[in-house]
Amino acid sequence: MHRRSFIQGIAAASFLTATPWARAFQSDQRMALSVEQLPSLTGELTLYLGRGEGGLYEKVLDAIRDRNPDLDLRVRRGATAALANTLVAEARAGVRRADLFWAVDSGAIGLVTANGLAKSLPPELTSQLKAGFQYPQWAPVTGRIRTLPYNPQRIAASAIPDSIMALADSQLSIGWAPAYASFQSFVTAMRLLNGEQQTADWLSAMKARSTSYAGELGVVMAVERGEVDLGLANHYYSLRLKAGKPQANIELAFTKNDAGCLVNASGIVCLSENSTAVNFIRYLLTQEVQSYLASEAYEIPLVNGVSMPAGLPGLSSMSPPKLDLTQLADLRPTLDMMRDVGVL
Amino acid sequence: MKTIPLSYLPSALIAALAIGPIIVLAVLASESAQVFDPHNIRVMINTLTLMSLTALGATLIGVPLALFTAYVETPLRKTWLVLLTAPLAMPSYIGAFTLYAAFGPGGEIDNALGLSLPAVRGMPGAVMVMTLYTYPFVLLTTRSALRSLDASQVNAARTLGMSLPGCLFSVVLPRVTRGIAAGALLAALYALSDFGTPAIMQVDTFTRVIYVEYNAFGLSQAAMLSLQLLCIVALLVFIESRVTGTKEMPGRPLRLWPGRWQRAVMVSAFLPVLILAIMLPLSVFSLWLWREGSGNFELQYAFNSAYASLLAAAVAVLLAIPVAHAAIRSKSGRVMERITYLGFGVPGIVMGTALVYVGLQLPWLYQTLGLLVIAYVLRFLPLAVGAVRTASERLDPSLVSAARLLGARPAETFRRITLPLTVRGIVAGAALVFLEAMRELPATLMLGPTGFETLATYLWRVYEAGYFGHAAIPGLLLILMSVLILMLMLSGERRAEIELSDP
Amino acid sequence: MLDVSNLAVYYGEHQVVSDVSFSLEKDEILMLVGPTGCGKTTILNVLAGLVPIHAGTISLANWRATAKQLIPPEKRQLGMVFQDFALFPHLSVEQNIYFKLKRRDRAEHWIRLLGLDAHRHAWPATLSGGQKQRVALARTLAHDPQCVLLDEPLSNLDAALKDSLRWEIRDALKKAGVPAIWVTHDQEEALSVGDRIGVLKGGRLHQLDTPERCFSEPSDRFVARFLGEASFLPGRLSADKKIAMTTLGEAPAIPINEACDNIDLLLRPDDLSVHQDEKGEGYIKWVRYEGGARFYAVQLEDKDIELRVRVNHEQQLAPGQRVSMRITTTHPLAAFNRL
Repeated sequence: MHRRSFIQGIAAASFLTATPWARAFQSDQRMALSVEQLPSLTGELTLYLGRGEGGLYEKVLDAIRDRNPDLDLRVRRGATAALANTLVAEARAGVRRADLFWAVDSGAIGLVTANGLAKSLPPELTSQLKAGFQYPQWAPVTGRIRTLPYNPQRIAASAIPDSIMALADSQLSIGWAPAYASFQSFVTAMRLLNGEQQTADWLSAMKARSTSYAGELGVVMAVERGEVDLGLANHYYSLRLKAGKPQANIELAFTKNDAGCLVNASGIVCLSENSTAVNFIRYLLTQEVQSYLASEAYEIPLVNGVSMPAGLPGLSSMSPPKLDLTQLADLRPTLDMMRDVGVL
Repeated sequence: MKTIPLSYLPSALIAALAIGPIIVLAVLASESAQVFDPHNIRVMINTLTLMSLTALGATLIGVPLALFTAYVETPLRKTWLVLLTAPLAMPSYIGAFTLYAAFGPGGEIDNALGLSLPAVRGMPGAVMVMTLYTYPFVLLTTRSALRSLDASQVNAARTLGMSLPGCLFSVVLPRVTRGIAAGALLAALYALSDFGTPAIMQVDTFTRVIYVEYNAFGLSQAAMLSLQLLCIVALLVFIESRVTGTKEMPGRPLRLWPGRWQRAVMVSAFLPVLILAIMLPLSVFSLWLWREGSGNFELQYAFNSAYASLLAAAVAVLLAIPVAHAAIRSKSGRVMERITYLGFGVPGIVMGTALVYVGLQLPWLYQTLGLLVIAYVLRFLPLAVGAVRTASERLDPSLVSAARLLGARPAETFRRITLPLTVRGIVAGAALVFLEAMRELPATLMLGPTGFETLATYLWRVYEAGYFGHAAIPGLLLILMSVLILMLMLSGERRAEIELSDP
Repeated sequence: MLDVSNLAVYYGEHQVVSDVSFSLEKDEILMLVGPTGCGKTTILNVLAGLVPIHAGTISLANWRATAKQLIPPEKRQLGMVFQDFALFPHLSVEQNIYFKLKRRDRAEHWIRLLGLDAHRHAWPATLSGGQKQRVALARTLAHDPQCVLLDEPLSNLDAALKDSLRWEIRDALKKAGVPAIWVTHDQEEALSVGDRIGVLKGGRLHQLDTPERCFSEPSDRFVARFLGEASFLPGRLSADKKIAMTTLGEAPAIPINEACDNIDLLLRPDDLSVHQDEKGEGYIKWVRYEGGARFYAVQLEDKDIELRVRVNHEQQLAPGQRVSMRITTTHPLAAFNRL
């Protein structure tokens, strides 16, 4: 019986709640801070949390609560888009309930910042983040990279092209989830990087040999079952699947310097002029929280000095494309294109 | 001269309230230009196919089960009924996902038993899942109609030489068409508004397109599509209202005493339904629970679920009573009743957003339990109205006249005569609302008080993240609570049956 | 007491009751009869306040209802006994009878009088039809109404029960000393039970009078036919309008609606005699044996007229036999203008 993720979850929870804050981290300014170095949080704070990540974010929030007994933290969960729409509706009605919006998807951040709801963050906060992930109005919290999970029993690693565009010319059977937000962000990135025409051509070429799934977990499960050779999915689904089932027939491949290995981020926006809210963001960027999310949720830490999740090569060995993630909010032309091609 | 019945004013108010979110949708939709996308024809065909096949499937499963639970004398009768209606409590996205994960090559059944079954997906998969989670609507409405039929016609037909199946088909079922149609309507509306199942089964339906638009921040376009979906809903509600049925006095229901092997055949015929709808998801959950551990579930979530759902059920029946009475009394009352049905056909997330706009007009109500209860009521009022109306229609009007003539005022007549005699319908309506509110997700997320976690939101949270093992305990609790509620519903029924049974 | 004048009721555009007026004495029983759809049940519902009126007034001891002034049913102090009994199925016999009562002695009186003592804790569903109707009656009378309305109270009961219960109800009403309006479609019930009869057709009251007068001096042919077997024989009225002359003999006559000259004489089956006679004016068309009597239909040869006659059972005639007939009655017969 395999219970590693369960035991790790418990261990990490106690790690966060009992001892971790005592373990100071050797850091220079570029590195992640420890919670020990942060001021304690007080007062009321309302956080809109787009997607709960199965209680892992909850454990982070619980740890922060435990550390700051004077903080009255209230959390509203919901689908990321629903919360973004709610924030816009609230702003229109002149009602403000949320101090922070932690979104799983940078597109939702784009909607909120485009509506002028985001407050600027102090530069010393954003400068903790890795190069390419520093934005004035929001802070990426963790990243996820686009990967090509494949079934090693069906194909060899060498059969996988290292360019996403070349995948269209391969003879592999492919699983994808066009209705899934991360996939749409990926297509948006391809549009921005390769142009409309190439993206549309790629989509229609891929369509011929692709099977659609509802979500990328479905894609990963289909790859593991051997329904398809290879899939397009965020990295953590494969890692979580392997964590629950170590003998799973799944490996990860990466393309090079194109939309196929885009690193997208969940992020947090500050919605009110409230120093507690800003300090709350600092907590999310600490060594402890970042490494917890990396080890438990298999998310990519975006602050310097935190190690990558197990099973994923270092960020430096990957070559993600350079892209302003906020631009990924430009979804409308992507959806139109996907419809025209008939993949959505 | 004409007097306006007392029930009209509240009914009109409730109908107006039900239209509120639709007006918000219209305003939101007016911001976008695109009324029609040729792509939508395919989506429309898919939607209508899923809807019709679901209604058909729910009828094909629900009606025989209604006959079984209404007439067949068998040990553990009530237990069977509770079990057979329990799928009402299971969120269909959970059912869809577990079936999806269990079947097919490499699925859990394959892993555990080495039995490679075909995968459940696509239109057939979606129809199967929707049918499994909506047939209880048909079962309940048809059964309650069947229970009120007098057995004498069947007995007459049998003495005239007609076989029992022949009797059931040509003497019994034609008299419960309204009950069947009411249940099929609810199943169809559920199929129209559910997002999870078509998404998991990869069927491109209206709700899925709406959801994609919504997630791509095309709120306006999502509202427009929802309005188009509402047109289908309105058409459906209209068609159902044209179904006519006979009106007859209640009598003693038929009772059938099948032999041992006949019972075995019946049970083995509907056991697969229970296995697929309840046992399989629970087994899969348990497997995952064993594999992954239970997570940080708190009993408070179950309490929150029960509390909000109970409030919603109470308010819904309270509002349903005047609406049902107005619907019985006149055509305009019927129109008001039908308006309340629209809310049931709007996808939850869109309805949730519309209610966010409504709620924001009343900041003191926004993000309170009150607004959440209103949302539940608007979405699930038809369930209560339908149940209360059916029960009230069966009430002999001369009883009300008799009470009035004996000197009881309308209020007293209602309290002492109408209410006790329709309590079965009221309890049934409340139970249906309760069960639906328990599994409701989008409105709960968007409208509840901040930090208000229920069984459904917790299930969703762990499902979204792929930690299915954590779904086992709340899943079991949902089933358990629904069983309790169904038992309550049946105890109300038992009380109502004293009146018509022999000592 | 109960007073109704110029009552008019519409269902939508359709007038179901027009210009109905009557009033009831202290303990009088008025039978309302008429064919299906004549408006008799509507009149009861109107009196009870269950259906609004469009014109006219209804007044009882201490209230008065008009089209404008509605009195709710519970304020009318009326009792109603329903065709389907309308017992509250969720209440026991006793609870039904006690329904709104504060003091129960009157209820006890009726429970005993109507023989319901043994059933007081039974559920209505377990009672027989006759018992149900007794409970309904006890419930109504125990609530001490100013007037009782009975809507075909016997129509759901079997024939044997009908006859005895009819008198039981009448006795109870008389004992209670309240006026009652009793709707029925059974003319025999109407004639035997009622102090007065109102014959309705198409929402109009065609005649309102004692059973005897309604039967022997009907206001029109409809009433004549409705209340019993009626045959019409052409004849002439004497100048003083007292004697009717027909081919079957002479008879004292009462002209109806100022009939004169050519008339149709109303003949009830017992107003005639019939004898076997090869030269007779008609022949036997059919015969019905009724135990103590025989009932014959006789076809008159020269005119296209069928007469019905009831004679002692000893007088046997076969269909096809020629017969002669005579008017034998000594009481005046109603004479209508020839159509």
